[in-house]
Amino acid sequence: MLEDRLLLWKFKHGSKDAFRAIYEKYAGDMLTLAGNLLDDKAGAEDVVQDVFIKLVESVGTFHLTGNLKSYLATCVANRSRDYIRSRIRQRNVIAKQAEKTPAETKSTVHLAIRSEELAKLSNALGELPYEQRETIVLRLHGDLRFRQIAKMQNVSTKTAQSRYRYGLDKLRSTLNGEVKK
Amino acid sequence: MSPSENIEKLIRKLHYETSAETHDRVFGNVMLALEKQQKQKAGVIKPDLWRMIMKTKITKLAAAAVIIAAVLVGILQLGGNGTNAVYASVVEQLHYARTMTYSIMTHTPVESMPTLRQQMAFKEPGYMRTTTADGYITVIDWNQNKGITLLPPKREYIDFEASNYQHDPAQDPFRVVEKLRNLPDEADEVLGEKEIDGRLLQGFRVTQGDMINTVWIDSQTEQLVRVEIEYANSPGMNTIMTDFQFNIELDDSLFSLAPTEGYTPMEVKADISTVTEEDLIAYLQMWSTWTKDGTFPPTFNPIELPKVTAEMIKQGKFGEGETSQQQQQAEAMQMYRGIMFVTQLPAESNWRYAGENVKYGDNQTPIFWYQPAGSQTYRVIYGDLSVKDVPPEDLPD
Repeated sequence: MLEDRLLLWKFKHGSKDAFRAIYEKYAGDMLTLAGNLLDDKAGAEDVVQDVFIKLVESVGTFHLTGNLKSYLATCVANRSRDYIRSRIRQRNVIAKQAEKTPAETKSTVHLAIRSEELAKLSNALGELPYEQRETIVLRLHGDLRFRQIAKMQNVSTKTAQSRYRYGLDKLRSTLNGEVKK
Repeated sequence: MSPSENIEKLIRKLHYETSAETHDRVFGNVMLALEKQQKQKAGVIKPDLWRMIMKTKITKLAAAAVIIAAVLVGILQLGGNGTNAVYASVVEQLHYARTMTYSIMTHTPVESMPTLRQQMAFKEPGYMRTTTADGYITVIDWNQNKGITLLPPKREYIDFEASNYQHDPAQDPFRVVEKLRNLPDEADEVLGEKEIDGRLLQGFRVTQGDMINTVWIDSQTEQLVRVEIEYANSPGMNTIMTDFQFNIELDDSLFSLAPTEGYTPMEVKADISTVTEEDLIAYLQMWSTWTKDGTFPPTFNPIELPKVTAEMIKQGKFGEGETSQQQQQAEAMQMYRGIMFVTQLPAESNWRYAGENVKYGDNQTPIFWYQPAGSQTYRVIYGDLSVKDVPPEDLPD
């Protein structure tokens, strides 16, 4: 915690090394977060880049009140939503591109999956309603608390917890179903 | 996949990775934005100014050391009143320091709690040594997360692990530092010059929450001379740091984790490797019998606890009553075992304490929870000291 604050403070006062340390510390986690939220690996790269650029641009006025990872995770989640909205607006173009080349094979970002089970889980996660997926991913990869997730989603904490539970139940039943087949 | 398998664990394994080229490209783009940003700023501190401190695992330094760091960070942030040169000099002094020593004195208004005086010494990368006025020495090597305490009276020593505290802001043992982290950009008050111990010093005051920091700098030599911290919620308690020295030669042997020759491992009446959840529960119950209102300890933060306890004594929150020396020893041991159970929990256990203001008997309020190694569920202790196994999604938020 304090290390992050000192890094931010040093970065605020001109240290590129401090920023590099922040980037190296969190870029990987944020990429995983964005990748699981978007199921679009190229988009994940864009989102993470945007979030860090935003951090750079706002550092003069930036004031961290919680922990940095949570802050970045929230930024990634918000930016991912923007990205999805933008993607929906351009869905025809995206759809055509997707038909030609799946995003996974185009992007240099890829899911580090080493088992069939994880591949199935990744697919199943992508099939979940976005709010459930977002809740699960923010909780498990962003380390956000339900209260923080609820605030971001503008719902009650109970609703966030329910989304989490329902999402996990669906994933569990989807995976079990596939195994039975 | 069997239903019992922990799907949360699997989801946590869904990691994305990228090539070094992509990583460099993204980082390069961000750096371009950074350079653009920096061109618009004037008078920034040279990046290499931070080289030294970057190498220090500052979060892992002992609380008192971090207080100094944070206070000095605060000094630089004060700015804007014509004293930047003094600030800059002091901060530079810190940033280039390979070693740092100072004295720290903590005074409480409670007669039974004597003023604590310690000498602190730090050496990069991440070595710390404290020496109390009566000769007790503690050395911590934060690179190894190990420490040793030497107890001269009986020529004994205790080895310990230093890595078991989590950095949750609510439970962080460095909470006192967290209170300093948001120091305002400008001092609340410039105190002007004052002669202290024969030196003419320039003072600055910054209030942060219940913490009032007064920083004294010798404007002639631009040396940090004294930092005073008072606690608004604990009138009469204060911490004073003096005798700052930077970059003096500190031999590696000062930070050795090897016990002094002739010292033997301290014989602890109870083997702390066997402490259990039951010891924690016994401690919690015991504390609730000490307080008049039957509440549990306000905190498990080892830095906060003595201060809070002193304040509770002052406010008469503990019950009266004679106890035999034997009973006192038994209670001290139980307290020790209870606290050791918590301090031995690894960070992965995600332990949390929420017993402040909760009274014994409240069976609805969780006061402590942790995830035992290998368990899918958490152990949750309630205010009536009952214990339940609870899945992660049902934990208190």
